[in-house]
Amino acid sequence: MTLFHLCQWLYASSFGTAIRESQYGFPLIETAHVLGITVLVGTVAIVDLRLLGLVMKREPVSDVLEQVLPLTWGGFLIMFVSGSLLLLSKAELYYGNPLFRIKLGLLLLAGLNPLIFHSTVYRSVSAWGESQVTPKRAKLAAVLSLTLWSAIVVTGRAIAYFH
Amino acid sequence: MTFYSLFEWLGNTWIGLAIQRSTWGVAIAEMVHLLALATLGGTILLVDLRLFGIGMKRQTAAQLARDLSPVFWGSLAVMLVSGLLILAGEPMKCYYSPAFRIKMLLLIIAVLFQITFHRIAVASSTGKAASIWSKSAAALSLALWLSVGLAGRAIGYF
Repeated sequence: MTLFHLCQWLYASSFGTAIRESQYGFPLIETAHVLGITVLVGTVAIVDLRLLGLVMKREPVSDVLEQVLPLTWGGFLIMFVSGSLLLLSKAELYYGNPLFRIKLGLLLLAGLNPLIFHSTVYRSVSAWGESQVTPKRAKLAAVLSLTLWSAIVVTGRAIAYFH
Repeated sequence: MTFYSLFEWLGNTWIGLAIQRSTWGVAIAEMVHLLALATLGGTILLVDLRLFGIGMKRQTAAQLARDLSPVFWGSLAVMLVSGLLILAGEPMKCYYSPAFRIKMLLLIIAVLFQITFHRIAVASSTGKAASIWSKSAAALSLALWLSVGLAGRAIGYF
């Protein structure tokens, strides 16, 4: 079974169809997805701003991360669930949509970025976390994060224009 | 001068006309609006959850709000500008949309609440514990801003 066949199957499934054709289902799920941007991207942006030494400068980086990231994970949950439901209902349509594929690729990169950050430069955070100025690699991770998430939001919005 | 003539005027400015004639004008303004919404919402969430006693516990809500204040006001400014540009691109759609009118009303209330009762609640929350006042202010703030967002989303529908 090819990926396209899978998308066709999902699209035609009773669950996918129910969401797509219901008057309120798709709009409500989409609303949750758009407002969830606040929780996921908003909190990530604030962490990135701390890594760039622009906000909460007197707070140790590890403190900020520890306390903000639970919210970010909550936001990720909202986005993943709502996004999956949206995809499910429109799978066959999104399969051929270049913006959707770009968005998925960007999401993967946006997930890789913190993984690399946490397993490399963040390991030594006790040495640099208290100061306003952070290592170059931490700043790079922050800039990448802000850029990737902005691109994800933009391509996400653009999906509807390429239907 | 009526709102109608104001919206009409806005649509007839050179920038309004330029946006209306372009294919991507409104879309780009909307994307900027969304990005600023993310950072605006992030600051609101962090401060209001702190007023509830959740999250950034090592700082008081007052310190947190002060730290994030530039991000809040900067994001709001970007949202106002991008919002105006969207409005200039679709003035009559917005004028006749009940959701748009409700959103503007809620926005004014949310901002007024932010700079009055919410500010007082935040400034007085210098302890670690959340009082009934700080929790009420946080709840109302979150409800108001969420309503603004929902109304904005509804503009596409009615």
